Amino acid sequence: MVRSIIGLLLGLVLITAPAFASDAKLNKAKRTYKQFCAHCHGINMVNPGTSSYDLRKWPKDKKERFYTVVKKGSRNMPAWGDVLTPDELDQLWYYVASRAGKEPFKDEAQSQKPSPRPAAVQTLHAGKLTACVARNGGVMSSARHNGGTGLDYGVVKALAEALKLELKVTWFESEQEEESDPVKETYALLAHGLCDVVPGFALYASALEGLDGQRAALPRWEDQPDYQPLGFQVDLKPVVGSHPYARMEMGIVVSGPAPATFTSLADLEGRKVGVEQGTLAGILTLRQGTPAMVASAQTFNPGPAFLWKMENGAFDAALVTVAAYDFHKRQNPITKLKLTDYRHPLGFNLGIASLQENAPLADRINVVISELVAAGAIRKIAEGYKMHYAEPRTPHVQARITLRDILAER
Amino acid sequence: MVFKHIALAAMLALGLGSVASAQTLEDLKNDKNTPGNILTYGMGYDLTRHSALKQINTDTVKKLRPVWTYSLADTRGQESFPLIHDGVMYVTTHNSTIALDALTGKQKWKEVIEYPAETPRVACCGIVNRGVAILNGKIFRTTLDAYVIALDAATGKEVWRTNSIDFKTGYSMTVAPLIADGVLIAGISGGEYGIRGYIEGYDPETGKRLWRTYTIPEPGEPGSETWKDGGDAWKRGGGPTWLTGSYDPDLNTVYWGVGNAASWNAGLRPGDNLYTSSILALEPKTGKIKWHYQTSPNDPFDHDGTNELILAELDGKKVVMQASRNGFFYVLDRTNGKLLAANKFVDKVNWANKVDMSTGRPDVTDITTKARSGEEVVYWPSAFGGKNWSPMAYNPDMKTAFANTLNIGMKYKAVEPQYRPGVFYFGAEFAWEWPEGARGSLRAIDPMTGKMKWQAESDIPRFAAVLSTGGGLVFTGTQTGEFEAFNSESGEKLWEYNTGSGIVGQPVTWEKDGKQYVTVLNGSGAVYVLFSGDERLAGTPAGGSVWTFALGD
Repeated sequence: MVRSIIGLLLGLVLITAPAFASDAKLNKAKRTYKQFCAHCHGINMVNPGTSSYDLRKWPKDKKERFYTVVKKGSRNMPAWGDVLTPDELDQLWYYVASRAGKEPFKDEAQSQKPSPRPAAVQTLHAGKLTACVARNGGVMSSARHNGGTGLDYGVVKALAEALKLELKVTWFESEQEEESDPVKETYALLAHGLCDVVPGFALYASALEGLDGQRAALPRWEDQPDYQPLGFQVDLKPVVGSHPYARMEMGIVVSGPAPATFTSLADLEGRKVGVEQGTLAGILTLRQGTPAMVASAQTFNPGPAFLWKMENGAFDAALVTVAAYDFHKRQNPITKLKLTDYRHPLGFNLGIASLQENAPLADRINVVISELVAAGAIRKIAEGYKMHYAEPRTPHVQARITLRDILAER
Repeated sequence: MVFKHIALAAMLALGLGSVASAQTLEDLKNDKNTPGNILTYGMGYDLTRHSALKQINTDTVKKLRPVWTYSLADTRGQESFPLIHDGVMYVTTHNSTIALDALTGKQKWKEVIEYPAETPRVACCGIVNRGVAILNGKIFRTTLDAYVIALDAATGKEVWRTNSIDFKTGYSMTVAPLIADGVLIAGISGGEYGIRGYIEGYDPETGKRLWRTYTIPEPGEPGSETWKDGGDAWKRGGGPTWLTGSYDPDLNTVYWGVGNAASWNAGLRPGDNLYTSSILALEPKTGKIKWHYQTSPNDPFDHDGTNELILAELDGKKVVMQASRNGFFYVLDRTNGKLLAANKFVDKVNWANKVDMSTGRPDVTDITTKARSGEEVVYWPSAFGGKNWSPMAYNPDMKTAFANTLNIGMKYKAVEPQYRPGVFYFGAEFAWEWPEGARGSLRAIDPMTGKMKWQAESDIPRFAAVLSTGGGLVFTGTQTGEFEAFNSESGEKLWEYNTGSGIVGQPVTWEKDGKQYVTVLNGSGAVYVLFSGDERLAGTPAGGSVWTFALGD
């Protein structure tokens, strides 16, 4: 198996993981214990032990049961699954299993001998693959009464089948605000333990670096507890992207008669050009168009309304993502807008995001996705949803886009 | 018109019926003079916890024996104040309300309260309840998930139930309600969860909320000028009201203590932060604030001054007094809130030198200044206070208060809090500073000077309430389970009895057919056990009971 850049990155990070617990780790664990547990289980876990469990007696080899009881509650113990972040859970386990740092901490995962067989895939809910999918993802994903639709949805469904897991979808509402960042949303959803995977993850370098250690707001999701405030911030954790399953491309859409073949954005000169504000396609139009074309171009708000403006004659040519066109076509099957054959050289591969700490899962996803792409199964899914499909290209991960990249094409 | 006559007759019958079996507002006022009944929390509207009964006295107390016990079938801390009316005793746990035959302990009825499993998340300091109020054939209590409910005193059947607020945002209720001037008054807990505190008045007949007085004014209201952060610190400013107030029927004024400001990080909420750590005088019908006195302006230390406010006469003045968490014993003229005395009642207080008698403000030390600016300090008394929640007694004949005081300090550093609804919102890191030797003592205190007349120390501090009697005794209990009687003049321990589980409850005394009884709940738990990490208590069995004692032969 060819290891991807992501796989290499993962390896590096694992090697540099600290071998010994630092004071900082213990202090963090103590703080978390004090904040969430001490008022029933006692400072330093000391309490009479009859109304609240004496945590000093919790068996050190019962890690999974600990997580289950903390998340779901048991008898007197309230459930904390909707409040605690996965990080906080880990901290609490560290606190309890190390007896507040007084005894050596042995994580089960580390103490187990490496198995010759591939590691079993562990997910949040045993036997299930939980995927966070945007309910407002247009042609890529949307919720239906019974299941969902769209390429992203179809891919996680196929992935779950291949992994022999039951698919559980957590639908979330991707923020449409200009300043919101789908990459951060993905990180936040994963860090908060709401799902094992998030599809539609744009594989570009800056999405895969430097976000852990930061905090980001969670989008709204289905079954969100009503006391979880909007914009609740969570500590992010390292995320990996899988091998790509599709490529997000941008193409030129025109209204009216079929156009001549385009070879660059400059060929749009002479047409009334629309610019989708704040999007990469919009920036490319302004930077790579001819001066005359840019001078007469008009800017409009981003989103599905953009192509409707074009439908209604506000302009007659624009660069948009192919998915946006597909979505418009679905909403208006008799559209007079046409997607030309021109594809802008810039584009992104789409992969599946998962937490770096669950390396066995990420490895399995890579294998499955590569197989599905090679067998043409993903293309079939896209065609089933009447979408254009573009196979991913190498490199898997798009390097950081610079202004120079954008100007170079001019 | 026949119909109208019948209806009128029915109404009259109902009205008469309820009067005949009822405890009226007059009965509540007169509670102190009817030792056969205990109708008000604190044994009288003045909260003195003093009874004139003297069959059990310094001579006879050695013959005190248990008469009956009743298992509460609950392993939480038991802090309920028992009420007695017409031979029936009413006690509560966090999840049940119970009526017992006062003479035999036989259960008449028990009603279980269901609350959502998440509720204990918002109870900072013990899953407890402090008891009921009674009026006109109904008893009233609060629930952990912030409901006020009324039950039929005869059957336990629920009469009404009113939600005070959504508990998930950090609010809970443990307070025993107060009935004053026909209004049922209750307070709220949650000072560690970034709540905005309040006191509420309800119609005891219907459960309709009559008023809510926030303990933190919103911008524009009087007092809002003491929140100078310019942001919305006031919205999460704390000011809980979790202990029952006192009531002066002649002045028609309710006195209610308000607790700590939130978060503890005082630097983030510059200004005095009214009405946190304050004494409020309220009009019972409207909740209107008549006057206020603040004990700890801009408090960084969780000096959660909800402490009981005892009413008495001193030097010919009607006074209200409080042994505050912050280590000072305050005496105020209760007609106008003017400070008459404020003296240290514990040995070690280092956050303030004294209270300025002209301004009424504490003269703070650099410990307080440093704490506010984020420097690490060790302050005394700790967040447990010079005295915690455990109510003191006041003997008006001796003009002496009897209080379980604490001798504990705290290492403290303010940090940036992060607000999450229903989760601790401390804004500080802290650890206890234990003294060598006794962590607490039962003290006889002169209210005007704060000076102690005697003390009975204990290594593990007492967290129970104190009861004073005309028999020259004070009763209290230890967290290891001993129920104790002391000579109120000398402090000599005259009697003790081990009840098997720790005592953090509230002793009362009453009489029936010429015999004096003493009742207390045991049941280890609550704030010290949970927050001290005191290993010596880890082996004290939990499990609460009601214990009633009388003289044997």
